[in-house]
Formats: sequence, structure tokens, C-alpha cells
Amino acid sequence: MAGIYIHVPFCRHKCTYCDFVSFPNRMDVAEAYMACVIKELEMRGKELEGRSFDTVYFGGGTPSVVDPKYIYAVMRKIKESFTLSARPEVTIEINPGTVSEQKIATYKRAGINRFSIGLQTAIDAQLEDLGRIHNVRDYLYCTSLLKGENFSADIMLGIKGQTREDVRKTVEIAAGSGAKHISMYALTPEDGTPIYTDYLNGELPGGDEVAALYDYGRALLAQKGYARYEVSNFCKKGFESRHNLNYWRRGEYVGVGVSASSFMSGRRLLNTSDLDEYMKCILSGFFPVIDCEEVSERDAKFETVMLGLRTVYGFSPAAYRQTFGSDWKEDFAAAYKKTKEFLLEEGDCVRIRDEYLYVQNTILAEYAD
Amino acid sequence: MAKASKFLRNFCIIAHIDHGKSTIADRIMELTGQVSKRDMEEQLLDSMDIERERGITIKLTPVRMYYTALDGNEYEFNLIDTPGHVDFTYEVSRSLAACEGALVVVDATQGVEAQTLANVYLALDNNLELVPVINKIDLQSARVEETKQEIEEVIGLDASDAPCVSAKEGTNIRDILEAVVKHVPPPEGDTDDPLRCLIFDSYYDNYKGVILFVRVKDGQVKVGDTIRTFLSEKRYDVTEVGAFAPQMQPKSLLSAGEVGYIAASIKSIEDVEVGDTVTNADRPAAAPLPGYKKVQPVVFCGIYPLDGSKFVDLREAILKLKLNDAALTFEPDNSVALGFGFRCGFLGLLHMEIVQERIEREFNLDIITTAPSVSYLVHKTNGESFYVDNPSHLPPPTDIDYMEEPIVKAEIYTPPEYVGSIMELCQDKRGVYKNMTYLDARRVCLEYRLPLNEIVYDFFDELKSRTKGYASFDYELDGYERSKLVKLDILLNGEACDALSTIVHEDHAYRRGRMLAENLKDAIPRQLFEVPIQAAVGGKIIARETVKAVRKDVLAKCYGGDITRKKKLLEKQKEGKKRMRQVGTVEVPSEVFMEILKTNKDRK
Repeated sequence: MAGIYIHVPFCRHKCTYCDFVSFPNRMDVAEAYMACVIKELEMRGKELEGRSFDTVYFGGGTPSVVDPKYIYAVMRKIKESFTLSARPEVTIEINPGTVSEQKIATYKRAGINRFSIGLQTAIDAQLEDLGRIHNVRDYLYCTSLLKGENFSADIMLGIKGQTREDVRKTVEIAAGSGAKHISMYALTPEDGTPIYTDYLNGELPGGDEVAALYDYGRALLAQKGYARYEVSNFCKKGFESRHNLNYWRRGEYVGVGVSASSFMSGRRLLNTSDLDEYMKCILSGFFPVIDCEEVSERDAKFETVMLGLRTVYGFSPAAYRQTFGSDWKEDFAAAYKKTKEFLLEEGDCVRIRDEYLYVQNTILAEYAD
Repeated sequence: MAKASKFLRNFCIIAHIDHGKSTIADRIMELTGQVSKRDMEEQLLDSMDIERERGITIKLTPVRMYYTALDGNEYEFNLIDTPGHVDFTYEVSRSLAACEGALVVVDATQGVEAQTLANVYLALDNNLELVPVINKIDLQSARVEETKQEIEEVIGLDASDAPCVSAKEGTNIRDILEAVVKHVPPPEGDTDDPLRCLIFDSYYDNYKGVILFVRVKDGQVKVGDTIRTFLSEKRYDVTEVGAFAPQMQPKSLLSAGEVGYIAASIKSIEDVEVGDTVTNADRPAAAPLPGYKKVQPVVFCGIYPLDGSKFVDLREAILKLKLNDAALTFEPDNSVALGFGFRCGFLGLLHMEIVQERIEREFNLDIITTAPSVSYLVHKTNGESFYVDNPSHLPPPTDIDYMEEPIVKAEIYTPPEYVGSIMELCQDKRGVYKNMTYLDARRVCLEYRLPLNEIVYDFFDELKSRTKGYASFDYELDGYERSKLVKLDILLNGEACDALSTIVHEDHAYRRGRMLAENLKDAIPRQLFEVPIQAAVGGKIIARETVKAVRKDVLAKCYGGDITRKKKLLEKQKEGKKRMRQVGTVEVPSEVFMEILKTNKDRK
């Protein structure tokens, strides 16, 4: 398994909680930027000749904010420069406030077969509060255009004033719209974002409240046939995000665009987060990499455990032994001793017990150096 | 008979904190050309970072100077700067023993303070000639004549021709030097007699070994001599002798009356004791010098390395500190919760704080300290009696007949408007009112007898906050008294944590138990399981709080596969865990062990 990630760092308006690399006022350079992405793909393609890729993912920012012809062009370049496997999963993140029939049609023609839609909440006042540009009607219109398609809805927990009832409504709208996959994640108030002020003033639901909302939402999703396969990800049977699963299984991926990260040949690379610097590099024929981490064996072991334990599939001790030639319990003896009561060991699978998946950091941190 | 030079003057400075002692020392050095104004760092003698930051002198520091007096003769001065705080009285007494005279510095705006008086008595005990100096005459509120009068009345010194100076502005500093020449007698002692030097301080130099700071009383010492001390049989060859200028400056020899240092490749720190006498190994003196009385520590706490593997480094650090801090005592200790460390004894709370800070700064060690304790006298039912300063070493209640606790005589100086509030505080701390005197219209002295264990926690902070910082406080030990004391244990998740046990008065046990449980509830981070916190006396639970289990702790949505960032987040979390101590199954932040006893709710 290997994936390709394309970062589109533009949006119409920065959401109050967003600390991703995204530039609301730089739409003027979108065309130049997308040309650079195509150039970078070409540069990477030469380097990665012979590898086969199974997934492509357009993330952002808001990939759906740029003209769909660029997405089409990028996909054409990918098919030209890389080898894609027989039935690749090709996802694009879309904001319900930015779609049209024509756009969706172009995406499909480009080869996109999975859509990730940022619903966040089905309460319009909360959407406005979050600085989202869409409302619930936009979401319903968007999903009507995607009838029969494989799409996912994002739901957010921990919004100011959010109640169980709000979560119920949101889950119902997401499920009712035909989503095959639902991501339900907690808002993280990052320093430097507008919402951080709300957090500092104690206006956001606390950890216990969010945990209660999560438990409630999770039960509701289960009722509607969405099984949890990762702490924040739920889906109908067979609709897991292959692209994300690849991350958690320590598969390789190439990240293209500003701030994108890659994992190739045992090295983790990070592209610059500076839009102008990125374009300057690409136009001068240099890779815009600002950080390169040679993953040590110890780190690789830690990653295997930490990434595996995020999912309900856990990780395989046998595969661990095969890769590293050692026993994971010996490698992490101290951490294992402290956390074993929170783990479930069945056959060739170690995973975090269901009831502790939502406090996994506390468990995983024991395995860190 | 070869007498010591009559052009030699050894003196020190006695002053209350803030009365300008170190600044006067700086000015004297400037005037004698010891350091040029340009090179001068403020408060030259306070060489430790902590001293400069806090504006206090902790260590005594000697310096040699030359001064040509108005009589035309050149005099050699040895000035020994001394600390002013009550905790460091011991240091003062050591420097006094190396001098013939002392400047008594009094702030013209503050008058004579209790601590000055205490040190004056010490100086008189040592037969020192006292020279009063009135400082800060540049300030508007200076009351020079009243201060002179006070010196005469309170201290009993003739202050009629006392130098009136401003150390800050450098006014009349020469008057001080002339007064020293005139009033301080030259040292006695004979350079032909067998060598006797009093060790008044020492420190460890990585290249030269232990450096002894000495006052030569009799005889001479030079490079190549073989010396020994009276307490140890070991012989050492002198590799260097010299004076303080104020940096160490080698000389060919040191003779009777002089102050200086000796290096003799002394490798083992334990071989040297401050107060001991150095003599010539081949021509030893018959008897040692009187030395000084050993001081008894009054406040105790456990010091443990944060990283258990650093025990040896901690041991080395404490040994090196002990070398020039004779008042510090220590013995190895072992705690279930904190591992291997030391039980250390101090002269007071400031001393304790300074030692802790020096370990962390000068030796770059992270340490955990337990709450301060005092030394209790335990009488067992079988007739045995002994002192216990570590609550976890207390015998079971059934074996104890009764206990005694140390009491202090406290003097609290305050503006009159805070008297009520201070009395309330002392009452709350089991104090017994003794006396109240109006020193003048703006100053009252309150005298109380207080159990020492009540003032080691937060008395000083409370006093400062209740009086907006105006009150000052001095205390001295005043014997032991029988008291109803109990051991208060803390159980985390059902397991007793030895490092959190304290000894308290029976009547305060419930209140303190409640407070401890509440404080711990706020201080212990939520864990994956519920943690009951119980306070218990003699097996009986008297308070309970619960730290709820953590319910949410997840990483945000994946950052486009930025796994490095996720790893860093987890590593940071792990880093935080490393600063915790495992008590049974519970993780407890290390600062809790020290901070927990503070009643002050807004502690960090």
C-alpha cells in the first residue's frame, strides 16, 4: 500500500478553529500554485519510478475552492507520472458551500471516487460560530449531487454550546444523507486560533463533556450501522478510508504541496509551510523539503505500536517480530507493564480496549521515548 | 619574638539585610584600588548568582586590600563579608573568629534591627572591637542623630564620631577606613610559634582539590610545608598559599595575623571540617584553636534526584556544598515513593531554600524535595527517648508514651495597624503571646512562643500577605515542650505514601488532613482510573477526596499524515510523565511533595 497526498492550501474563509496551513487571501496565486503542484508531481514521479500507488487524497485548506480544472490537471499528471493500482481510492475534501453540479462532474471525470464533506454540525448557528461558510441546506444540496457516490461526512464535537440533542441531529443528518463513512472528531483549541480565546475563557465544553458527547454519538452511529474502526472514524462495512488506513499501517506515502509530509524509504519528509518559498523552490527545480527525519529502528517500533493502537485493528505482534526481529513486549517492557490492563490481546492482535480508546494518548505516551 | 605586623587589620561587617553591607564592602574595595570602578560588578563579594538575584549575602567572602592612611603608613586590610540573615548566624560567627574588629552598619532610615543586635552580641563574645557606621545618609528619610542615639542606647556603643556615609553615592567612605585603622587592633600571635590556622571556610576546586580559607593565628605556612589538621591524621603537602584580592592571589607565605587560603591537593571532601585547626605536621602545635560550637540543624527535608539514576551526582553535590556550608547536615534516606536520596538538616527555611537552589543551579540537578519537618523528641513507653525528624521513622502510636516538639521565641516587627491580624495568625499557629512593645509610633514588636513546626510551612508567606509585606520576623530556638502530636498519613488509591506523611498537632489533624486531600485532588492529574485520596491518623480515615478518571485524551484529526508531529506530541506528554513519581499505581507530580503543605490556594 502507498498513497499520494495533495495539499490545496486555499479557502474562502479561515474557520475559527483551523490551524492547518491554509491561506484565505491568496486565491490569486491558486493557478500558479497548482502548476507548481504539477511540477512537484513530475519531480517526485521521476524519483519514485516503479512504485505503485493505491490512494490519492486531496486535502486542505479547501480543495473544492479552486477551479476543478486544476484538480483534473493534477489527476492527469498523477496518472502520467505515477503508476496507480487497478482500483485506486481517490478522495477529495469538499466544503458544502463551494460545490456545483458541474464541479462534481469534473471531479468524477478526473477519476475522483470518494468525497469527504465537512458538515461539522447540523446546527446553523454553530456553523456560523465556527466561521464555516456553509449551512445545513448547503450540505443537503451537496450530498444530493453525490447520490450513490462514496462519501464521508465530518462531524465535530466540543463546539461551544453543543448538546447531545445537537449531536443527535447532526448524526441523523449525516447518516440520512447517505454517507458511507463518518469522521467524528473533537475540536482541538490550538493556540493562535480565534477559538482558543473561547477555550481560555472556559466557554468550550470540557473534556468530560466532550467524552460524554462522544460516547453518545458513538452509540448512535453504531445503531445506524457505522462501526468504529479508528478513534474518530466510523463507517459502513467495507467503507474504511484506505488512504488513512495506510498512514496507520505505516504504509508509504508521498505528500505534494505546501506543508505536505511524506514517508518514503524509511524517511519522513516535510515540505515548507511558506507558500511563496514553496513555489520559489519548485520553480527553481528544488524539492521544498525543510525537514527530513531518518526514522530510527526505535522510532519505527514506536510508530508501529502507536499508529496501530489508534485503530480497532491494533497491530500484529507476529508482523512486528518479522519486521524488527524482536518481541514488542520486551522492547517496551516498562510501558507494557504500565498499560497492559488497558490492552486487549487476542490471537495475533493487540489493541486498546474499547472503553479506553478515547484516552489513548495517556496510554500511547508511555511507549514514547 | 616576631610579632604579627602592626599594620594589619582583620575586620568584618555586621548589618541587617538591606542596610547596605555589600555595597559598603564594594566602596571600600573601590577606594583602596582593589578593583577599578569600571570593572566593578555591582556587589562584588556576592559572587553566587543567587546572592546577586536575591540581594543577600549567604557566604562569607574574604578580601585583602592595602590602604595608605592619613598617618602615612600603609595598612593591609582583610575584610570578611558576612551574611545578614538569621539562618546564617553560624557563618557570621565563623568570620568573627577570624577578625579583631567589626563594622556595625546601621541604616539611618531604619535604625537598629534585631538581627544586627544578635550579631553584635556574637561579636562581643568573640572580643571584637566594634566600629559603628551610619549608612544611607543620602536618603531624605535619614535620621542621623536619632540613629546615633539609638546605637548608644540599644547597642551601647559610643557613636559620637561614627562615620556617617552613603555607600550608594560613595560619600565619606574614607572615614570608615580611618576608623578601622584607629579602632581595630592589629592581630596578636607570634610568627615563630608552631603553626595554627583556623579553617573558617573551604570549597572544592576541580584542579587544586579542597581549598582551605584560613586565619593564621600563630606561625607561618608556605609552599612545600607538610600540614595536617587536628581532626584528621592525614598529611598534605602545601602546593599553594595566597590572599584574596578578592580573587585568589598566590603568595610566598602566610604568617600569623593574616587571612588567606591554602591548597594542599586535598582530594577527599570529608577530610576537612570548618572550625578545625591546621598545623605543621613536622612541628605540630600542642593544642588546636577553640574553633566554634557545632550548630544544630532545626529544619529538615528529604532531597531526592528527580532522575533516580542521578543519586551519585546528588551525593557529590551535597558533599561539595557541605564543604563551605558547615551547617548543612545530611544522611542517606530511602523512600518508597521517591527512591534513594538524603535527609538534610538546615538552620532555617531560607537556608533550606538556598541549598535546594544551589543544588539545582550549580550542579544542574533536578531534585524533588519533601515538605519541611522539624526534629521531635519521642519518648517511648519502654523508656527509650530519641529524636525523629522524618515522619516515616516515627514508631507506631502504641509504642509512644509522649512526644516533645521544638518551640521558638519569635519577634515580629510590624506597623501597629497589622497587630490584630498577626495575633490571629499566631493564635492559629498555636502561638503563645508573650509581650508587645512599641518601639516608636510606627513600629511594634510582638513576642510570641510558637511551635517550630507551625512556622516551617507557610507562616512567613502568611505573615507577609497579611501585612502587605511590612512585617519582619526573627526567631530563635527556645527548647522543647511536650505536645499532643500525631502522624498524618496520606493514602493514594489505598496505598500509604511515605513521602507525604507529616507530623501535626492532634487538634490540627482533621483540618490539615482535609486541606491536604483537597490540595492533592487539585495537584494530581487525572489518571486512567479513579484515584481515591485519603488522609488518615493512626489507621483511621479522616478525610477523602477523589480524582476522577480521565475520559478524553485523544490526538486531533490526523495532520495529513504528519506523524512526526504526532510523535512529538506524545513525546512531550511522556516528558511530563517523567517529572512524575509513581506512588503505587498513581502518578504524582514531583513538586507536589514540597508544595502540598502550603495552605495558600493559589500556589502554582
